Amino acid sequence: MAGVWFYAALLALPIYYIVISASKTNEEIFSFPTALPVKWSWENFGKAWEMAALGDGLVNSGVIVAASLLITLVLSIPAAYSIARSDGRLSRAVEVFFAGGFLIPTFAALVATVLLSIAVGLFQTKLFLILYYPATALPLAVILLTQYMRSIPAELAESAMIDGASRLKVLMLIYLPLSWPAVSSVLVVNFIAFWNEYLFALIIAGPSIETRTAQVALPTLAGLKMTDYGLMSAGTVIILIPVFVFYAILQKRLEGALAAGALKG
Amino acid sequence: MVLAAVTRSKRRKRNGSGLLIFSLPAVIWFATFMIYPLFSMLYLSLTDWRSLISSQSFVGFAQYAKVFADPIFWSAFQNTLLQLVIAVPTMTFLGFMLAYYLTLKPVGVTLLRIVCFTPALMSLSAKSIMFFGAFAPDGLINGLLRSVGLDSLTNAWLASESTALYSIIAIDIWSGIGFTAVLLAVRMSGISPEIFEAAEIDGAGHWRKMWRISYPVSKDYFGGLFMLQFLWTAFNSAALILLLTRGGPGTSTYTLSYLMYSKAFVGQSIGYSQVVGVSLFVLGLFGMWAIRRTFRSVV
Repeated sequence: MAGVWFYAALLALPIYYIVISASKTNEEIFSFPTALPVKWSWENFGKAWEMAALGDGLVNSGVIVAASLLITLVLSIPAAYSIARSDGRLSRAVEVFFAGGFLIPTFAALVATVLLSIAVGLFQTKLFLILYYPATALPLAVILLTQYMRSIPAELAESAMIDGASRLKVLMLIYLPLSWPAVSSVLVVNFIAFWNEYLFALIIAGPSIETRTAQVALPTLAGLKMTDYGLMSAGTVIILIPVFVFYAILQKRLEGALAAGALKG
Repeated sequence: MVLAAVTRSKRRKRNGSGLLIFSLPAVIWFATFMIYPLFSMLYLSLTDWRSLISSQSFVGFAQYAKVFADPIFWSAFQNTLLQLVIAVPTMTFLGFMLAYYLTLKPVGVTLLRIVCFTPALMSLSAKSIMFFGAFAPDGLINGLLRSVGLDSLTNAWLASESTALYSIIAIDIWSGIGFTAVLLAVRMSGISPEIFEAAEIDGAGHWRKMWRISYPVSKDYFGGLFMLQFLWTAFNSAALILLLTRGGPGTSTYTLSYLMYSKAFVGQSIGYSQVVGVSLFVLGLFGMWAIRRTFRSVV
Protein backbone atom coordinates (compact mmCIF):
# COMPACT_ATOMS: atom_id res chain seq x y z
CA MET A 1 0.00 0.00 0.00
CA ALA A 2 2.82 2.39 -0.78
CA GLY A 3 0.26 4.09 -2.99
CA VAL A 4 -1.53 5.42 0.05
CA TRP A 5 1.57 7.22 1.21
CA PHE A 6 2.05 8.76 -2.16
CA TYR A 7 -1.49 9.90 -1.91
CA ALA A 8 -1.02 11.23 1.61
CA ALA A 9 2.00 13.11 0.32
CA LEU A 10 -0.24 14.65 -2.31
CA LEU A 11 -2.62 15.79 0.43
CA ALA A 12 0.22 17.13 2.51
CA LEU A 13 2.16 18.78 -0.30
CA PRO A 14 0.28 22.10 -0.41
CA ILE A 15 0.67 22.41 3.36
CA TYR A 16 4.38 21.67 3.16
CA TYR A 17 4.62 24.21 0.37
CA ILE A 18 2.99 26.96 2.36
CA VAL A 19 5.06 26.32 5.48
CA ILE A 20 8.38 26.41 3.62
CA SER A 21 7.32 29.33 1.44
CA ALA A 22 6.62 31.36 4.56
CA SER A 23 10.36 31.52 5.18
CA LYS A 24 11.40 32.31 1.62
CA THR A 25 11.63 35.27 -0.69
CA ASN A 26 9.70 35.37 -3.93
CA GLU A 27 12.86 34.56 -5.93
CA GLU A 28 13.53 31.47 -3.84
CA ILE A 29 9.90 30.32 -4.13
CA PHE A 30 9.96 30.65 -7.91
CA SER A 31 13.32 29.05 -8.51
CA PHE A 32 13.05 26.16 -6.04
CA PRO A 33 9.38 25.69 -5.19
CA THR A 34 9.76 22.46 -3.23
CA ALA A 35 13.17 22.99 -1.64
CA LEU A 36 13.59 23.86 2.01
CA PRO A 37 14.61 27.47 2.55
CA VAL A 38 18.34 28.08 2.45
CA LYS A 39 18.05 30.06 5.62
CA TRP A 40 14.94 30.04 7.85
CA SER A 41 13.90 33.64 8.12
CA TRP A 42 11.06 34.98 10.23
CA GLU A 43 10.88 38.29 8.48
CA ASN A 44 7.76 37.41 6.48
CA PHE A 45 5.86 36.61 9.65
CA GLY A 46 6.48 40.01 11.17
CA LYS A 47 5.67 41.76 7.92
CA ALA A 48 2.46 39.81 7.38
CA TRP A 49 1.41 40.44 10.97
CA GLU A 50 1.82 44.16 10.47
CA MET A 51 0.57 44.63 6.94
CA ALA A 52 -2.67 42.71 7.43
CA ALA A 53 -3.07 43.86 11.04
CA LEU A 54 -3.43 40.19 11.93
CA GLY A 55 -3.24 40.97 15.64
CA ASP A 56 -6.45 42.99 15.45
CA GLY A 57 -8.02 40.33 13.26
CA LEU A 58 -7.19 37.55 15.70
CA VAL A 59 -8.59 39.55 18.61
CA ASN A 60 -11.80 40.28 16.71
CA SER A 61 -12.13 36.64 15.74
CA GLY A 62 -11.51 35.58 19.32
CA VAL A 63 -14.16 37.93 20.69
CA ILE A 64 -16.72 36.92 18.07
CA VAL A 65 -16.10 33.19 18.48
CA ALA A 66 -16.15 33.26 22.29
CA ALA A 67 -19.34 35.32 22.48
CA SER A 68 -21.05 33.23 19.81
CA LEU A 69 -20.17 30.00 21.58
CA LEU A 70 -21.53 31.34 24.83
CA ILE A 71 -24.83 32.33 23.23
CA THR A 72 -25.02 28.97 21.47
CA LEU A 73 -24.81 27.17 24.80
CA VAL A 74 -27.16 29.52 26.62
CA LEU A 75 -29.79 28.93 23.96
CA SER A 76 -29.30 25.26 23.21
CA ILE A 77 -28.83 23.74 26.65
CA PRO A 78 -32.22 24.76 28.11
CA ALA A 79 -33.90 23.96 24.79
CA ALA A 80 -32.39 20.48 24.69
CA TYR A 81 -33.30 19.87 28.31
CA SER A 82 -36.89 20.87 27.76
CA ILE A 83 -37.24 18.67 24.67
CA ALA A 84 -35.55 15.72 26.35
CA ARG A 85 -37.69 15.93 29.47
CA SER A 86 -41.15 16.60 28.18
CA ASP A 87 -43.34 14.62 25.91
CA GLY A 88 -46.38 15.26 23.82
CA ARG A 89 -46.97 16.72 20.44
CA LEU A 90 -45.47 20.12 21.09
CA SER A 91 -42.22 18.62 22.26
CA ARG A 92 -42.03 16.49 19.12
CA ALA A 93 -42.79 19.54 17.03
CA VAL A 94 -39.93 21.54 18.56
CA GLU A 95 -37.56 18.65 18.01
CA VAL A 96 -38.63 18.29 14.39
CA PHE A 97 -38.25 22.05 13.96
CA PHE A 98 -34.57 21.84 14.87
CA ALA A 99 -33.94 18.54 13.09
CA GLY A 100 -35.44 20.10 9.99
CA GLY A 101 -33.16 23.09 10.47
CA PHE A 102 -30.27 20.89 9.36
CA LEU A 103 -31.78 20.58 5.98
CA ILE A 104 -32.07 24.29 5.32
CA PRO A 105 -29.17 25.35 3.11
CA THR A 106 -28.81 28.65 4.93
CA PHE A 107 -26.06 29.97 2.71
CA ALA A 108 -28.68 30.64 0.08
CA ALA A 109 -30.06 33.36 2.35
CA LEU A 110 -26.74 35.25 2.53
CA VAL A 111 -28.08 38.39 0.88
CA ALA A 112 -31.26 38.41 2.93
CA THR A 113 -29.22 38.01 6.10
CA VAL A 114 -27.08 40.98 5.14
CA LEU A 115 -30.24 43.00 4.53
CA LEU A 116 -31.48 41.97 7.97
CA SER A 117 -28.28 43.27 9.53
CA ILE A 118 -28.79 46.57 7.74
CA ALA A 119 -32.44 46.75 8.83
CA VAL A 120 -31.56 46.33 12.51
CA GLY A 121 -28.70 48.82 12.27
CA LEU A 122 -25.95 46.29 12.88
CA PHE A 123 -24.32 46.24 9.45
CA GLN A 124 -20.52 46.31 9.66
CA THR A 125 -20.47 45.38 13.32
CA LYS A 126 -19.13 42.42 15.22
CA LEU A 127 -22.37 42.23 17.16
CA PHE A 128 -24.46 40.98 14.28
CA LEU A 129 -22.06 38.08 13.67
CA ILE A 130 -22.15 37.30 17.39
CA LEU A 131 -25.93 37.06 17.19
CA TYR A 132 -26.03 35.32 13.83
CA TYR A 133 -23.49 32.50 14.24
CA PRO A 134 -25.32 30.83 17.14
CA ALA A 135 -28.44 30.56 14.99
CA THR A 136 -26.49 28.55 12.41
CA ALA A 137 -25.26 26.25 15.18
CA LEU A 138 -28.61 25.66 16.91
CA PRO A 139 -29.96 22.66 14.99
CA LEU A 140 -26.89 20.54 15.59
CA ALA A 141 -26.39 21.74 19.17
CA VAL A 142 -30.00 21.15 20.18
CA ILE A 143 -30.25 17.72 18.58
CA LEU A 144 -26.91 16.51 19.92
CA LEU A 145 -27.66 17.71 23.45
CA THR A 146 -31.23 16.41 23.40
CA GLN A 147 -30.07 12.93 22.47
CA TYR A 148 -27.50 12.99 25.18
CA MET A 149 -29.82 14.30 27.89
CA ARG A 150 -32.44 11.67 27.06
CA SER A 151 -29.92 9.05 28.07
CA ILE A 152 -29.66 10.55 31.56
CA PRO A 153 -32.05 8.67 33.89
CA ALA A 154 -35.00 10.89 34.84
CA GLU A 155 -34.98 9.47 38.38
CA LEU A 156 -31.79 11.36 39.12
CA ALA A 157 -33.59 14.64 38.90
CA GLU A 158 -36.86 13.49 40.39
CA SER A 159 -35.55 13.20 43.91
CA ALA A 160 -34.04 16.64 43.68
CA MET A 161 -37.35 18.02 42.45
CA ILE A 162 -39.18 16.45 45.37
CA ASP A 163 -36.76 18.32 47.57
CA GLY A 164 -38.05 21.47 45.98
CA ALA A 165 -35.30 22.26 43.51
CA SER A 166 -36.48 24.36 40.58
CA ARG A 167 -36.23 23.20 36.99
CA LEU A 168 -33.43 25.64 36.36
CA LYS A 169 -31.50 24.35 39.34
CA VAL A 170 -31.95 20.76 38.21
CA LEU A 171 -30.66 21.72 34.79
CA MET A 172 -27.65 23.59 36.07
CA LEU A 173 -26.64 21.24 38.87
CA ILE A 174 -27.58 17.81 37.52
CA TYR A 175 -28.01 17.81 33.76
CA LEU A 176 -25.31 20.24 32.75
CA PRO A 177 -22.40 18.50 34.48
CA LEU A 178 -23.57 15.11 33.23
CA SER A 179 -23.91 16.35 29.68
CA TRP A 180 -20.36 17.65 29.49
CA PRO A 181 -19.25 15.25 26.71
CA ALA A 182 -22.03 16.49 24.44
CA VAL A 183 -21.47 20.12 25.44
CA SER A 184 -17.79 19.86 24.61
CA SER A 185 -18.60 18.31 21.22
CA VAL A 186 -20.86 21.27 20.48
CA LEU A 187 -18.09 23.66 21.52
CA VAL A 188 -15.43 21.95 19.47
CA VAL A 189 -17.42 21.69 16.24
CA ASN A 190 -18.61 25.26 16.43
CA PHE A 191 -15.27 26.68 17.43
CA ILE A 192 -13.91 25.46 14.11
CA ALA A 193 -16.97 26.55 12.17
CA PHE A 194 -17.12 30.06 13.66
CA TRP A 195 -13.39 30.61 13.53
CA ASN A 196 -13.17 29.65 9.87
CA GLU A 197 -16.31 31.35 8.55
CA TYR A 198 -15.45 33.75 5.75
CA LEU A 199 -18.21 35.11 3.55
CA PHE A 200 -20.68 36.35 6.18
CA ALA A 201 -17.78 37.85 8.12
CA LEU A 202 -16.51 39.58 5.00
CA ILE A 203 -19.79 41.24 4.16
CA ILE A 204 -21.43 41.75 7.54
CA ALA A 205 -18.46 42.69 9.73
CA GLY A 206 -16.76 44.24 6.73
CA PRO A 207 -13.20 45.14 5.82
CA SER A 208 -12.39 47.84 8.39
CA ILE A 209 -9.64 46.93 10.83
CA GLU A 210 -11.83 47.49 13.89
CA THR A 211 -14.35 44.82 12.92
CA ARG A 212 -12.74 42.43 10.47
CA THR A 213 -11.92 38.87 11.48
CA ALA A 214 -8.61 37.10 10.90
CA GLN A 215 -10.10 35.24 7.93
CA VAL A 216 -11.06 38.52 6.30
CA ALA A 217 -7.71 40.14 7.11
CA LEU A 218 -5.64 37.34 5.58
CA PRO A 219 -6.64 37.73 1.92
CA THR A 220 -5.82 41.43 2.03
CA LEU A 221 -2.20 40.25 1.73
CA ALA A 222 -3.03 39.02 -1.77
CA GLY A 223 -4.39 42.38 -2.79
CA LEU A 224 -1.16 44.32 -2.41
CA LYS A 225 0.36 45.79 -5.51
CA MET A 226 3.08 43.20 -5.78
CA THR A 227 2.22 39.56 -5.16
CA ASP A 228 4.52 38.39 -2.39
CA TYR A 229 3.97 34.66 -1.89
CA GLY A 230 6.25 34.42 1.11
CA LEU A 231 4.26 37.08 2.87
CA MET A 232 0.93 35.44 2.05
CA SER A 233 2.20 32.06 3.19
CA ALA A 234 3.43 33.47 6.47
CA GLY A 235 0.03 35.11 7.08
CA THR A 236 -1.73 31.82 6.37
CA VAL A 237 0.50 29.94 8.77
CA ILE A 238 -0.23 32.50 11.49
CA ILE A 239 -3.99 32.18 11.27
CA LEU A 240 -3.79 28.39 11.11
CA ILE A 241 -1.90 28.16 14.39
CA PRO A 242 -4.83 28.60 16.81
CA VAL A 243 -6.85 25.86 15.13
CA PHE A 244 -3.90 23.50 15.07
CA VAL A 245 -3.07 24.05 18.71
CA PHE A 246 -6.69 23.27 19.44
CA TYR A 247 -6.51 20.15 17.30
CA ALA A 248 -3.27 19.00 18.90
CA ILE A 249 -4.86 19.16 22.33
CA LEU A 250 -8.15 17.59 21.40
CA GLN A 251 -7.40 15.30 18.47
CA LYS A 252 -9.57 12.31 19.41
CA ARG A 253 -12.43 14.37 20.77
CA LEU A 254 -12.41 16.64 17.75
CA GLU A 255 -12.60 13.82 15.22
CA GLY A 256 -15.38 12.12 17.13
CA ALA A 257 -17.24 15.40 17.56
CA LEU A 258 -16.98 16.35 13.92
CA ALA A 259 -18.12 12.89 12.92
CA ALA A 260 -21.13 13.15 15.20
CA GLY A 261 -21.81 16.70 14.10
CA ALA A 262 -21.54 15.95 10.44
CA LEU A 263 -23.64 12.85 10.45
CA LYS A 264 -26.40 13.53 12.94
CA GLY A 265 -28.33 15.15 10.13
CA MET B 1 -45.59 1.01 42.83
CA VAL B 2 -48.99 2.25 41.87
CA LEU B 3 -48.53 5.35 43.92
CA ALA B 4 -45.17 6.00 42.31
CA ALA B 5 -46.72 5.57 38.90
CA VAL B 6 -49.50 7.98 39.74
CA THR B 7 -47.22 10.68 41.06
CA ARG B 8 -44.95 10.23 38.10
CA SER B 9 -47.79 10.65 35.64
CA LYS B 10 -48.96 13.71 37.55
CA ARG B 11 -45.56 15.23 37.52
CA ARG B 12 -45.25 14.50 33.86
CA LYS B 13 -48.54 16.22 33.22
CA ARG B 14 -47.48 19.22 35.25
CA ASN B 15 -44.22 19.51 33.36
CA GLY B 16 -45.60 18.24 30.08
CA SER B 17 -45.48 21.22 27.79
CA GLY B 18 -44.81 23.93 30.34
CA LEU B 19 -41.17 23.02 30.37
CA LEU B 20 -40.96 23.77 26.68
CA ILE B 21 -40.84 27.45 27.54
CA PHE B 22 -37.11 26.71 27.96
CA SER B 23 -36.83 26.12 24.26
CA LEU B 24 -38.65 29.30 23.31
CA PRO B 25 -35.54 31.55 23.12
CA ALA B 26 -33.80 29.07 20.81
CA VAL B 27 -36.86 28.77 18.60
CA ILE B 28 -37.24 32.54 18.33
CA TRP B 29 -33.54 32.97 17.65
CA PHE B 30 -33.54 30.40 14.89
CA ALA B 31 -36.69 31.81 13.35
CA THR B 32 -35.28 35.35 13.35
CA PHE B 33 -31.87 34.65 11.87
CA MET B 34 -32.50 31.60 9.72
CA ILE B 35 -36.11 31.34 8.70
CA TYR B 36 -37.03 34.99 8.31
CA PRO B 37 -34.19 35.61 5.80
CA LEU B 38 -35.40 32.65 3.75
CA PHE B 39 -38.83 34.17 3.41
CA SER B 40 -37.42 37.56 2.68
CA MET B 41 -35.29 35.95 -0.03
CA LEU B 42 -38.44 34.46 -1.56
CA TYR B 43 -40.10 37.84 -1.52
CA LEU B 44 -37.11 39.71 -2.93
CA SER B 45 -36.85 37.27 -5.80
CA LEU B 46 -40.19 38.60 -6.94
CA THR B 47 -39.00 42.20 -7.07
CA ASP B 48 -36.81 44.13 -9.45
CA TRP B 49 -34.79 45.65 -6.62
CA ARG B 50 -31.38 46.68 -7.91
CA SER B 51 -29.40 48.15 -5.04
CA LEU B 52 -29.97 49.38 -1.52
CA ILE B 53 -30.47 52.97 -2.55
CA SER B 54 -32.94 52.34 -5.33
CA SER B 55 -36.61 51.66 -4.81
CA GLN B 56 -38.08 48.24 -5.27
CA SER B 57 -41.25 47.21 -7.00
CA PHE B 58 -43.01 43.89 -7.08
CA VAL B 59 -42.72 42.31 -10.50
CA GLY B 60 -43.75 38.74 -9.67
CA PHE B 61 -42.33 35.99 -11.81
CA ALA B 62 -41.08 38.44 -14.42
CA GLN B 63 -37.76 38.46 -12.56
CA TYR B 64 -37.56 34.67 -12.85
CA ALA B 65 -38.28 34.85 -16.58
CA LYS B 66 -35.50 37.38 -16.95
CA VAL B 67 -32.97 35.29 -15.05
CA PHE B 68 -33.89 32.06 -16.81
CA ALA B 69 -33.38 33.76 -20.14
CA ASP B 70 -29.86 34.83 -19.16
CA PRO B 71 -27.11 32.58 -20.55
CA ILE B 72 -24.85 33.33 -17.57
CA PHE B 73 -27.37 31.72 -15.27
CA TRP B 74 -27.30 28.52 -17.30
CA SER B 75 -23.55 28.40 -17.57
CA ALA B 76 -23.34 28.90 -13.78
CA PHE B 77 -25.89 26.13 -13.37
CA GLN B 78 -23.89 23.85 -15.62
CA ASN B 79 -20.66 24.64 -13.77
CA THR B 80 -22.31 23.88 -10.44
CA LEU B 81 -23.56 20.52 -11.71
CA LEU B 82 -20.16 19.68 -13.16
CA GLN B 83 -18.52 20.59 -9.89
CA LEU B 84 -20.93 18.37 -7.94
CA VAL B 85 -20.78 15.43 -10.31
CA ILE B 86 -16.98 15.34 -10.35
CA ALA B 87 -16.09 16.39 -6.82
CA VAL B 88 -18.59 14.55 -4.63
CA PRO B 89 -18.13 10.97 -5.92
CA THR B 90 -14.37 11.40 -6.27
CA MET B 91 -13.82 12.61 -2.74
CA THR B 92 -16.11 9.94 -1.35
CA PHE B 93 -14.39 7.11 -3.19
CA LEU B 94 -10.84 8.25 -2.43
CA GLY B 95 -11.82 9.11 1.14
CA PHE B 96 -13.28 5.65 1.59
CA MET B 97 -10.08 3.96 0.41
CA LEU B 98 -8.02 6.12 2.70
CA ALA B 99 -10.34 5.37 5.61
CA TYR B 100 -9.93 1.66 5.00
CA TYR B 101 -6.17 2.09 5.14
CA LEU B 102 -6.43 4.12 8.35
CA THR B 103 -8.35 1.31 10.04
CA LEU B 104 -5.51 -1.10 9.33
CA LYS B 105 -3.47 1.02 11.75
CA PRO B 106 -0.32 1.14 9.64
CA VAL B 107 2.96 2.51 10.94
CA GLY B 108 2.59 6.27 11.14
CA VAL B 109 -1.19 6.19 11.39
CA THR B 110 -1.24 9.22 13.68
CA LEU B 111 0.73 11.29 11.21
CA LEU B 112 -1.55 10.11 8.42
CA ARG B 113 -4.64 11.09 10.40
CA ILE B 114 -3.23 14.56 11.02
CA VAL B 115 -2.46 14.99 7.33
CA CYS B 116 -5.96 13.84 6.47
CA PHE B 117 -7.61 16.13 8.90
CA THR B 118 -5.70 19.29 8.15
CA PRO B 119 -7.81 20.42 5.19
CA ALA B 120 -10.90 20.19 7.38
CA LEU B 121 -9.34 22.62 9.83
CA MET B 122 -8.40 25.22 7.25
CA SER B 123 -10.65 28.12 6.47
CA LEU B 124 -11.63 28.90 2.92
CA SER B 125 -9.51 32.03 2.97
CA ALA B 126 -6.43 30.08 4.08
CA LYS B 127 -7.09 27.42 1.45
CA SER B 128 -7.51 29.93 -1.29
CA ILE B 129 -4.31 31.78 -0.40
CA MET B 130 -2.50 28.48 -0.35
CA PHE B 131 -3.79 27.37 -3.73
CA PHE B 132 -3.30 30.81 -5.17
CA GLY B 133 0.40 30.13 -4.62
CA ALA B 134 0.22 26.51 -5.73
CA PHE B 135 -1.56 27.26 -9.01
CA ALA B 136 0.40 30.43 -9.82
CA PRO B 137 2.43 30.46 -13.05
CA ASP B 138 5.61 30.22 -10.97
CA GLY B 139 4.04 28.20 -8.23
CA LEU B 140 4.18 24.71 -6.84
CA ILE B 141 2.46 22.76 -9.58
CA ASN B 142 4.33 24.27 -12.47
CA GLY B 143 7.55 24.02 -10.49
CA LEU B 144 7.00 20.30 -10.01
CA LEU B 145 6.14 19.80 -13.66
CA ARG B 146 9.31 21.61 -14.73
CA SER B 147 11.45 19.63 -12.32
CA VAL B 148 10.37 16.38 -13.99
CA GLY B 149 10.77 17.82 -17.48
CA LEU B 150 7.10 18.26 -18.29
CA ASP B 151 7.44 21.94 -19.16
CA SER B 152 4.90 21.57 -21.92
CA LEU B 153 2.16 20.85 -19.39
CA THR B 154 2.72 23.99 -17.36
CA ASN B 155 -0.17 26.35 -17.41
CA ALA B 156 -1.59 29.45 -15.75
CA TRP B 157 -4.09 27.15 -14.07
CA LEU B 158 -6.47 29.69 -12.63
CA ALA B 159 -6.15 32.16 -15.46
CA SER B 160 -6.91 29.89 -18.34
CA GLU B 161 -10.46 29.28 -19.39
CA SER B 162 -10.03 25.56 -19.92
CA THR B 163 -8.49 24.77 -16.53
CA ALA B 164 -9.85 27.34 -14.06
CA LEU B 165 -13.02 25.46 -13.14
CA TYR B 166 -11.16 22.16 -12.85
CA SER B 167 -8.62 23.81 -10.58
CA ILE B 168 -11.45 24.90 -8.30
CA ILE B 169 -12.87 21.36 -8.38
CA ALA B 170 -9.43 20.00 -7.50
CA ILE B 171 -9.41 22.23 -4.41
CA ASP B 172 -12.84 20.89 -3.45
CA ILE B 173 -11.59 17.34 -3.75
CA TRP B 174 -8.40 18.09 -1.85
CA SER B 175 -10.48 19.61 0.94
CA GLY B 176 -12.98 16.78 1.08
CA ILE B 177 -10.92 13.59 0.89
CA GLY B 178 -9.21 13.72 4.25
CA PHE B 179 -12.29 14.73 6.17
CA THR B 180 -14.33 11.98 4.53
CA ALA B 181 -11.59 9.51 5.39
CA VAL B 182 -11.48 10.47 9.04
CA LEU B 183 -15.28 10.34 9.36
CA LEU B 184 -15.48 6.92 7.74
CA ALA B 185 -12.55 5.70 9.80
CA VAL B 186 -14.43 6.63 12.97
CA ARG B 187 -17.25 4.43 11.74
CA MET B 188 -15.02 1.57 10.62
CA SER B 189 -13.02 1.54 13.83
CA GLY B 190 -15.68 -0.79 15.20
CA ILE B 191 -14.52 -3.62 12.95
CA SER B 192 -12.45 -6.05 14.99
CA PRO B 193 -9.02 -6.98 13.59
CA GLU B 194 -9.92 -10.68 13.80
CA ILE B 195 -12.37 -10.29 10.95
CA PHE B 196 -9.63 -8.94 8.71
CA GLU B 197 -7.27 -11.67 9.83
CA ALA B 198 -9.84 -14.34 9.06
CA ALA B 199 -10.40 -12.82 5.64
CA GLU B 200 -6.67 -12.80 5.00
CA ILE B 201 -6.41 -16.48 5.87
CA ASP B 202 -9.09 -17.07 3.24
CA GLY B 203 -6.83 -15.27 0.80
CA ALA B 204 -8.71 -11.98 0.54
CA GLY B 205 -6.64 -9.04 -0.70
CA HIS B 206 -7.10 -5.39 0.19
CA TRP B 207 -9.63 -4.81 -2.53
CA ARG B 208 -11.91 -7.61 -1.35
CA LYS B 209 -11.55 -6.75 2.31
CA MET B 210 -12.38 -3.18 1.53
CA TRP B 211 -15.60 -3.95 -0.31
CA ARG B 212 -16.74 -7.04 1.57
CA ILE B 213 -15.97 -5.95 5.10
CA SER B 214 -15.43 -2.22 5.42
CA TYR B 215 -18.01 -1.07 2.91
CA PRO B 216 -21.04 -2.82 4.43
CA VAL B 217 -20.14 -1.49 7.87
CA SER B 218 -19.85 2.11 6.77
CA LYS B 219 -22.63 2.02 4.19
CA ASP B 220 -25.14 3.79 6.40
CA TYR B 221 -22.76 6.74 6.71
CA PHE B 222 -22.60 7.32 2.99
CA GLY B 223 -26.00 8.98 2.70
CA GLY B 224 -25.13 11.55 5.36
CA LEU B 225 -21.69 12.09 3.90
CA PHE B 226 -23.02 12.64 0.41
CA MET B 227 -25.46 15.24 1.66
CA LEU B 228 -22.79 17.06 3.56
CA GLN B 229 -20.38 17.11 0.65
CA PHE B 230 -23.14 18.06 -1.71
CA LEU B 231 -24.03 21.10 0.38
CA TRP B 232 -20.43 22.10 0.95
CA THR B 233 -19.47 21.84 -2.65
CA ALA B 234 -22.55 23.62 -3.90
CA PHE B 235 -22.55 26.46 -1.41
CA ASN B 236 -18.97 27.05 -0.40
CA SER B 237 -17.71 27.69 -3.87
CA ALA B 238 -18.72 31.35 -3.62
CA ALA B 239 -15.92 32.24 -1.21
CA LEU B 240 -13.32 30.20 -3.07
CA ILE B 241 -14.23 31.72 -6.42
CA LEU B 242 -14.45 35.21 -5.02
CA LEU B 243 -10.91 34.90 -3.70
CA LEU B 244 -9.36 33.03 -6.62
CA THR B 245 -10.99 33.82 -9.94
CA ARG B 246 -13.96 36.15 -9.46
CA GLY B 247 -15.88 34.03 -11.93
CA GLY B 248 -13.30 34.46 -14.65
CA PRO B 249 -11.64 34.13 -17.00
CA GLY B 250 -14.70 35.16 -18.94
CA THR B 251 -17.56 33.48 -17.16
CA SER B 252 -15.83 30.12 -16.96
CA THR B 253 -15.90 29.78 -13.19
CA TYR B 254 -19.30 31.27 -12.43
CA THR B 255 -21.20 28.91 -10.19
CA LEU B 256 -24.68 29.49 -8.82
CA SER B 257 -23.44 30.50 -5.40
CA TYR B 258 -20.90 32.92 -6.82
CA LEU B 259 -23.47 34.32 -9.24
CA MET B 260 -25.78 34.96 -6.31
CA TYR B 261 -23.00 36.76 -4.49
CA SER B 262 -21.78 38.82 -7.39
CA LYS B 263 -25.22 39.94 -8.59
CA ALA B 264 -26.01 41.26 -5.12
CA PHE B 265 -22.70 42.80 -4.10
CA VAL B 266 -20.94 43.56 -7.36
CA GLY B 267 -23.59 43.71 -10.06
CA GLN B 268 -26.21 45.74 -8.21
CA SER B 269 -29.13 43.49 -8.91
CA ILE B 270 -30.61 42.13 -5.70
CA GLY B 271 -33.76 40.79 -7.34
CA TYR B 272 -31.71 38.77 -9.84
CA SER B 273 -29.42 37.55 -7.09
CA GLN B 274 -32.34 36.32 -5.05
CA VAL B 275 -33.76 34.34 -7.94
CA VAL B 276 -30.40 32.58 -8.06
CA GLY B 277 -30.57 32.16 -4.28
CA VAL B 278 -33.98 30.51 -4.55
CA SER B 279 -32.69 28.26 -7.35
CA LEU B 280 -29.74 27.27 -5.22
CA PHE B 281 -32.03 26.59 -2.30
CA VAL B 282 -34.29 24.43 -4.44
CA LEU B 283 -31.27 22.61 -5.87
CA GLY B 284 -30.08 21.98 -2.31
CA LEU B 285 -33.41 20.56 -1.22
CA PHE B 286 -33.76 18.49 -4.37
CA GLY B 287 -30.22 17.12 -4.00
CA MET B 288 -30.80 16.11 -0.41
CA TRP B 289 -34.11 14.50 -1.27
CA ALA B 290 -32.50 12.56 -4.13
CA ILE B 291 -29.56 11.43 -1.99
CA ARG B 292 -31.87 10.35 0.80
CA ARG B 293 -33.99 8.33 -1.63
CA THR B 294 -31.04 6.71 -3.33
CA PHE B 295 -29.41 5.64 -0.14
CA ARG B 296 -32.60 4.43 1.41
CA SER B 297 -33.20 2.08 -1.48
CA VAL B 298 -29.58 0.93 -1.52
CA VAL B 299 -29.26 0.24 2.19
